[in-house]
Amino acid sequence: MTTRSAVAAYREGEPPARRRRRRANVTPYLFVGPAFLALMVFGVLPIVVAAVVSLTNLDISGLANRANIHFVGLDNYARLFADGAFWVALGNTITFVAIGVPSIIVVSLAAAIGLNQSDSRFFHALRTFYFLPAITAIVAISLIWGYLYNSQFGLLNYLLSLGGLPPVGWLTDPFIAKLSVAFVGIWRATGLDIVIFLAALQSIPRDYYEAAAIDGAGDIRRIFSITIPLLRFAIFFVTITTLINWMQFFDEPYVLTAGGPIHATTSISLYIFQEGFQFNQFGFASAASLVLFVIIVSVTAAQLRLRRSSDV
Amino acid sequence: MNRRITTAITAVAALGLVVSACSTAAASPTPSSGASPSAVASAAPSASAAPSASVGGSITVWTMEDSKAFTTLASQFTSATGIQVQVDQIPWANVNDKLTTAVASGNGPDVVQTGLTLLPAFESAGALLDLGPQLAAHPGLASANFLDGLSSDKLSWNGKILSVPWIADTRVLFYRTDILAKAGITAPPTTWTEFHADAAKLVASGSSKYGLYIPQWDQALPLEFAWEAGGNVVDSNGKVTFDTPAFRTAADFYLSFYKDKLVPTASDFDQLQGFISGAAPMVISGPYLAGSIKQQAPQLDGKWSVAVLPKDLSSTSSLQGSNMAVWSTSKNVDASLKFLEYLDQPATQLQWYKLTGELPTVKAALADSSMTSDPLVNVYGQQLQDANLLPLVANWNQIATDLLNSLNSIALQGADETTTLSKLNETVAGLQK
Amino acid sequence: MSSRRPSLGLAVVGVLLTAGALATAFPFVWMITTSLKPEQESVAYPPTLLPTTISLDGYIALFRDLDFGTYLMNTIVVVLIGFVGMLLVAMAGYAFAKFRFRGRDRMFLLVLATMMIPIQVTMIPTYLILNSLKLTNTLLGIALPTLVSAFNLFLFRQFMSTIPDDLLEAARLDGASEWRILRTIVLPLSRPILAVQGVLTFIAGWNSFLWPLIVANDQNKYTLSVGVALLNKQLTIDPPLQMAAASVMVIPLVLVFVVVQRHIVAGFTMSGLK
Repeated sequence: MTTRSAVAAYREGEPPARRRRRRANVTPYLFVGPAFLALMVFGVLPIVVAAVVSLTNLDISGLANRANIHFVGLDNYARLFADGAFWVALGNTITFVAIGVPSIIVVSLAAAIGLNQSDSRFFHALRTFYFLPAITAIVAISLIWGYLYNSQFGLLNYLLSLGGLPPVGWLTDPFIAKLSVAFVGIWRATGLDIVIFLAALQSIPRDYYEAAAIDGAGDIRRIFSITIPLLRFAIFFVTITTLINWMQFFDEPYVLTAGGPIHATTSISLYIFQEGFQFNQFGFASAASLVLFVIIVSVTAAQLRLRRSSDV
Repeated sequence: MNRRITTAITAVAALGLVVSACSTAAASPTPSSGASPSAVASAAPSASAAPSASVGGSITVWTMEDSKAFTTLASQFTSATGIQVQVDQIPWANVNDKLTTAVASGNGPDVVQTGLTLLPAFESAGALLDLGPQLAAHPGLASANFLDGLSSDKLSWNGKILSVPWIADTRVLFYRTDILAKAGITAPPTTWTEFHADAAKLVASGSSKYGLYIPQWDQALPLEFAWEAGGNVVDSNGKVTFDTPAFRTAADFYLSFYKDKLVPTASDFDQLQGFISGAAPMVISGPYLAGSIKQQAPQLDGKWSVAVLPKDLSSTSSLQGSNMAVWSTSKNVDASLKFLEYLDQPATQLQWYKLTGELPTVKAALADSSMTSDPLVNVYGQQLQDANLLPLVANWNQIATDLLNSLNSIALQGADETTTLSKLNETVAGLQK
Repeated sequence: MSSRRPSLGLAVVGVLLTAGALATAFPFVWMITTSLKPEQESVAYPPTLLPTTISLDGYIALFRDLDFGTYLMNTIVVVLIGFVGMLLVAMAGYAFAKFRFRGRDRMFLLVLATMMIPIQVTMIPTYLILNSLKLTNTLLGIALPTLVSAFNLFLFRQFMSTIPDDLLEAARLDGASEWRILRTIVLPLSRPILAVQGVLTFIAGWNSFLWPLIVANDQNKYTLSVGVALLNKQLTIDPPLQMAAASVMVIPLVLVFVVVQRHIVAGFTMSGLK
């Protein structure tokens, strides 16, 4: 008996399920295929293009006429690291992340757990209120908050003046502006995360709570020993995505302060837009984008490594 | 769940059909249907003289103006020449996105509106056709028809004429007559000295919190002062330079308002609110502000007016607005130029002003009695006679950003004027190597 | 929750949540009241909370100046195409969560990587790709760049990872095909997250702005968001008009959320398996 026919005979005798499982090894690729392909073409390929472009002096005249494109090596990166405004933007981004990410996670988790305590119609209605900021267009948000925050004619300072308090430079004081802008970002982001946590809370079997209650655990104790641990998969998701989003914090500073006053609220993404894309300096913008990309990848990879043990 | 979502989608679609039925009743005719002209008072402008020249065919126009108003003009052009015009409107804030993708792919229109602040980007992209050789055959586009500030030598880019004027915008002095009167000022300032003195008087007398408002984002204002001080911001090689005595005088004047605490320092001070509330009763702004004041503060009618800018050696202002250009790869150049000629006929210019309030660039139109009889427009027209374009250099926006950052750091953060300005000069020189 | 706790705790929670909800929704309320004010009052200082006279000028101008019907149709098509993308993402999320296959982790990292680059970087390369596929100025071309989102894929993967393996194995041993398992077990168990994703997909499609703007050369292919942006003048702002536009854009999203949210919080548990 040759080896080949021995293997064939062995395979003949396989139970149907295992043969199916061997065929099923193709299945994950089939399932993943379409989505993965789309993401590679529209998501990863541009990153590769950006990496190449970052080594050139591509600008709008280069887009029109290839002859205007020259290879400049690492010049764009050198220019980036020599620019003081870049480092200021980096510092601002770290501040935004430090303020925003923990706040969002804690607030949305707490609110979701609270909203999940009751099935009443009232609580149902409350959920819609929390979701509103997430679905409002950024243009409207900029007009509304720009108006609320305006130091001379805004509603907040008007209310303060009614109480005899001095006006606050919500968007004009370099330090307070960071907090104000971050606050709008937090206000906008929690809605979606609350909904995600609410969905996640549905996966916790009721028996667990009942068993703990029988054992004498109070409400708060149950939240911390049952709910939160069992929400690990959702907390992980919210943490990673919020971190990735806030390292690219752009919308709120762009529409509220345009990075001002004097770079106080310029995040890295806004710096890239203002110094690069706005002036069609694609080579420089690509270099800066790559640097940001590497930072985000590193931070995310570190987080994933920390999680590997839990295999979630 | 699926059923509910289907219901929701059906409901939205049904609502949409109802609303669209209502809105299409009010909507303008589609551009390429060659519909009859809308009922606008002025006579329909004539098309180009030789009837045998009308070739039919069609062109595509990219504009940031309201497409309904623009289509009104386009339909008239189509009736007169048989050339179909498709109008596609682009939001102002996204012109650069459209430009870059069009340049990268080659998918452009035939005619494109080029806002003057965006013109350098279009020109350095090589996206526009050189119209120089074509102008002889199209007398309607001759340089002499337009304001002096828009003559072909001023619009020239490396010896090429890449756009023709269309609509104009400028900056004049807005002032609150009632608040100035309270401080004992009976006429608007006409010289720099009066300007500063009046601002100081307003604050000292308590008539207003500030003398005037200087927008921290306004690129044109420092240049306006420089021109008024008798200088040029562009040197003989066509490069921008702030390293001139005239500019230093202008910078000193600009900063003097901050030094004497006559202007707000908050970066989010709103010029319209400041003017309406009287906190900043003087401001240098454009006709758009007049429109806003009339609409949002009709109670101020008769209490405000405009004047030509106060003069030092001259009262030169800035010339803004939009030109029109032909895309470099357009296959319908002749039809496009006919359309541009049509837009620049005095009658069309006046019609557009009636539709949108945007000022003509054609001298004959500006001299028309319908324009000069309006006191505000009279001032705008006067100012337009002495107004300069912002420099048409490739990275003007970058230079302007650095300029404003420098001035703001001196005014608001106490940076030293001489060192900051010399650093600015270095940066500007470096950007134009 | 079990019934033994008296309602005091619940009432406290309710009060706190209501206060939070009011604070969260206040700017939104401001948006609606501003949309109903006459233009003069909308910029008045001192500001008024409620309109002294209700004016529909903002809404009238909105429907008069906006080609609502055309843009709405385009937006609906883009949303529907987005739902196809959502199903593709659900499939992929399930595969990443529940299958072991070669290259899985590296592929997943690549998926996550697409979230880490600013959209401006992808704009021109993506446009050139669509151009070479002759998809510019088509609704498919508009929907394609955002058909699949890494965020949604990641979200599906997280939720589907909580589905017990035993359930799937049991079905396999019974001879069910993978497609059958996906359809009859995985998707029904994922109802809450499917509801969330449905809402997210609808929102993304409804608000789609950048790609419709760039990919459409003809104005009649624009979506609602782009049409609304056309109302912005270069230098002036008309607050009631802007707020009316924002309010109108938000209403369908609120309706969708209200309708779908009972599936998000379905009270659906997976007890009885351990």
